[in-house]
Amino acid sequence: MINEMLLQFAHWMEAQPYSQMLVAGYFSYNWVEATHVLTLMLSIGSLFVIDLRMIGLILTEVPASKLAERLHKPMMIGFVIMFITGALLVYAKPVETIQSLWFRIKMILLVLAFINAWVFNARMKAADGTWDMDPVAPKALRTGAIISLLLWCGVVTLGRYIPYDWVDCVNTDNPTILWAAGCVDQLNAL
Amino acid sequence: MLNLLLSQYRKTTILFLVLILIAILEAFEVRTSIHGNTLPYFEWLKNSSWLGIIGTTYGSVYATVEAVHLISMAIIGGTVLVADLRLLGIILTDIPSETITRGTHKVFRNALIFAVASGIFCAAGVADKVYYMPVFWIKMLALIAGSCFVFLVKQPLLNTVPHDEIRPWTLRLLAVCSLLVWFTVAATGRWIGFS
Repeated sequence: MINEMLLQFAHWMEAQPYSQMLVAGYFSYNWVEATHVLTLMLSIGSLFVIDLRMIGLILTEVPASKLAERLHKPMMIGFVIMFITGALLVYAKPVETIQSLWFRIKMILLVLAFINAWVFNARMKAADGTWDMDPVAPKALRTGAIISLLLWCGVVTLGRYIPYDWVDCVNTDNPTILWAAGCVDQLNAL
Repeated sequence: MLNLLLSQYRKTTILFLVLILIAILEAFEVRTSIHGNTLPYFEWLKNSSWLGIIGTTYGSVYATVEAVHLISMAIIGGTVLVADLRLLGIILTDIPSETITRGTHKVFRNALIFAVASGIFCAAGVADKVYYMPVFWIKMLALIAGSCFVFLVKQPLLNTVPHDEIRPWTLRLLAVCSLLVWFTVAATGRWIGFS
């Protein structure tokens, strides 16, 4: 049911003139994709610096909460640009993207990463400042930082897998993969 | 004079001589003749080296190494941004810039090693294509320029002199050059995928 709805929505998006314009223009699509990837350096780059500080691998002489607080703004600017360009990439190729298994897992990891970031922030605000100058953060924050690093590495890796066609609807007949990828037509044909 | 240059500014002098050498090589079209002779190596890299064979045979391995390359570039970006924005006086201004530049450099260096290693693997899988791409050569030049700049100019200067003894404009210039060169490396790398 949800797969049918998503596919319908994707077909509707694909029929929009701006979607076709975006994908037809070689440079427009490439500029959006390049911006999406390059903004990684701002968003995930800043985030990784914060996470690595929490586990004591970088800038151990800098108060951890201060570093997190000061890098919050550039990081968020990066994430906003990444989400806008990411949405445009989906808008340009909606059917292909929505039926990509990698894209779907990437979205799940993104949600998990944001829940983890929210919990991490709440824990950091709740913790007293006595650990701030310690080379490593308390265990709960350290665990949050490691989970964040792993989840974002997963997001980047799956984002890289999306253009590859190993498990595209036309290249697999495994019902579980077809269902997970939302390959409605191929599932009906089985 | 020469003794002073060689003792106090050894690395900068080496960099200057390298730049002069590059200019001479370019003037006598040595690069153009060398470029033509490197094609067999690129073909060997793709078709016969184990890097090229793994890259072309196992798409999933290739894509995963591409992801490692991207993650390494993200870490390079993060460390460069933190250090250079501090030198520009935009972030973390209440923390000594010596602490920030020293603290980020080790991670930057390790990320650069990963980026170069994964980049060689990625290039090996498409070596016969990248050879003909001007943007690939621009990226290589930017990478060499960026590495020379960091290890021969920026770090030696920032590590040997207290930053408050360096003129503020010199620090800003270092930061802007660093941001520009690493942005060029990343942007040209992205453009290789479109060419």
